[in-house]
Amino acid sequence: MGERLKGRSALVTGAGRGIGKAVALALAEQGANILVCDLGVAMDGTGCDQGPADDTVKECRSLGVKAAAYYADVSDFKATEQMVRACVSNYGSMDILCNIAGILRPKMIFNMSEEDWDRVLAVHLKGTWNLCRHASVVMRQQRYGRIVNCTSEAYAGTVGHTNYAAAKGGIVSLTYAIAREMGRYGVTCNAFAPRARTRLSVGDDQDQGLQRRIEAGLISEERLKGMEETRREGADPEHFAPFIAYLASDAAANINGCVFVTSRATIGIWNHPNVIRKFTRGWEIEEKWGIEELEKRVPEELLVDYVNPAPPRD
Amino acid sequence: MGNRLKGRNAVVTGAGRGIGKAVAVALAEEGANVVVCDLGVAVDGSGTDQSPADQTAAECRKYGGKAIAQFGNVSSFSDAEAAIKSCVDTFGRIDILCNIAGIDKPKMIWNMTEQEWDQVVGVHLKGTFNFIRHAAPLMREQKYGRIINCTSEAWLGGVTHLNYGAAKGGITTLTWGAAQELGPSGVTVNAICPRAKTRMTDDPKVREMVVKRVEKGLMDPSVLKRMDREMVDPSAFARIVVFLASDDAALINGQVFLTTALTIARYSKPEAAWQVENPAEGPWTLEAIKAGFSADKLLKGYVNPAPPKPEEKK
Repeated sequence: MGERLKGRSALVTGAGRGIGKAVALALAEQGANILVCDLGVAMDGTGCDQGPADDTVKECRSLGVKAAAYYADVSDFKATEQMVRACVSNYGSMDILCNIAGILRPKMIFNMSEEDWDRVLAVHLKGTWNLCRHASVVMRQQRYGRIVNCTSEAYAGTVGHTNYAAAKGGIVSLTYAIAREMGRYGVTCNAFAPRARTRLSVGDDQDQGLQRRIEAGLISEERLKGMEETRREGADPEHFAPFIAYLASDAAANINGCVFVTSRATIGIWNHPNVIRKFTRGWEIEEKWGIEELEKRVPEELLVDYVNPAPPRD
Repeated sequence: MGNRLKGRNAVVTGAGRGIGKAVAVALAEEGANVVVCDLGVAVDGSGTDQSPADQTAAECRKYGGKAIAQFGNVSSFSDAEAAIKSCVDTFGRIDILCNIAGIDKPKMIWNMTEQEWDQVVGVHLKGTFNFIRHAAPLMREQKYGRIINCTSEAWLGGVTHLNYGAAKGGITTLTWGAAQELGPSGVTVNAICPRAKTRMTDDPKVREMVVKRVEKGLMDPSVLKRMDREMVDPSAFARIVVFLASDDAALINGQVFLTTALTIARYSKPEAAWQVENPAEGPWTLEAIKAGFSADKLLKGYVNPAPPKPEEKK
């Protein structure tokens, strides 16, 4: 319990269960009032249930803060505008926005239906943009705001759900851009890639999916290590949720445009992808790059230390 | 002129103008047959015009290969399927796919409309997915394929058009994911980040601004020199796509290349740069988190990309 976020109000999406719930409670523990947004859908985005959001509200209130539930689809532009308004009218401001809501529909790209692509992109990427878009107006007026988006290590490439990964990659780019557009107004925007046991990461389907990818040799050792930590007993999101409270606090006023990886045991910061190898030619050369030149220089000068992530099989 | 792609068939989106056209012509120069896909829209995606695609197809045919124009909306799942099918029906199979089509609708986040978001993400990200989705089963079956996507440096923070930046971030991640899923079947997936003079980038105001800054001594003259040398027709570097599509590049997969008239470079992948361990068994305490955020730990080398303006701080 603390008072670091006393008087602040937060909107947390996906707050009915899993990481969203843990984050909502961590913010409430530091005194923030919470709008608990959750439609209570199944993992694939179907159905709805008010129970999860209501439960989180009760738990927040037991920590002595105000909390209310809001049931709406984050992928709906108008509904998210109402959501932000509800936060302002309930609590007088909208200081903290945590975009955690997410669904999963795993498929290889050659089997993925249009609907599987659209729904996953809509909830993650459009949903995150929707709330950032409406919150940006309020936060810019306030000259204060903290936005924390949930991305995933899948952003760096994964097998079996390119829809989810592409959405998470879009969220990273969105985070970088918002940090730059909003920073001068006293608003920070950061993202975190969680390693935690939730409905999305642990279950029979996930076990089988992971097994298949390991057997097919489609998964890198590093990613496997991350996934093992994610699925390990005790890897509950409560453990690192205080980190989100930290990013929302005054102590983190100057932390902006960063991507973190968070787990029970470790907090890390990701680097910004950058040019690592290059070759250049003289200003005076007017001709197009020649194909022979490229055939020689690309392998010799650009591909130093390069490892093919998935070489062809015989 | 050459025979490196003799007998290969390519689909190039956005091939009516700019980078897409330069790529289509460069592939034709090396003997490939080309399906020239372009709806002929304005930079903002409005209107249609069949003549750009027709002109590129005519130009491709000059090199002795076959070429047909194809007018469809890349953000439509079924139009993308029709474009891939027309390649197979006309030329027998599809070997090379270049996703270059793009539009731009710049706005700061607090002014961006839902339509501006949806359309830009629809053309870039969904469009790229649509074409890969329909090409991938064919390429897997024939155990051969080359996919080259167009991303952008805006992927790392697209200020004033975060719709564009987020879509390009999604494309970068999609490139990494599809490379892993399709690599074992002899299909490579790479991306380019081009710098060139096109309808989208040819803005005299930008150059004027740089000239002024150089005159005032605020900017090094070499910036202007570089800009003038790089803001040229994209044919200057289009052969990098020929190289990536050729047999020489069979083992280059899942990479992102910066391409300009002067420089060709390879990007690193994001990875955890610095990390700290939880000193306790239980949840992270805010004190432990704060201790991790020191200039010699998580924030090593970190520079806030947009600090708050002092007078505007709350």
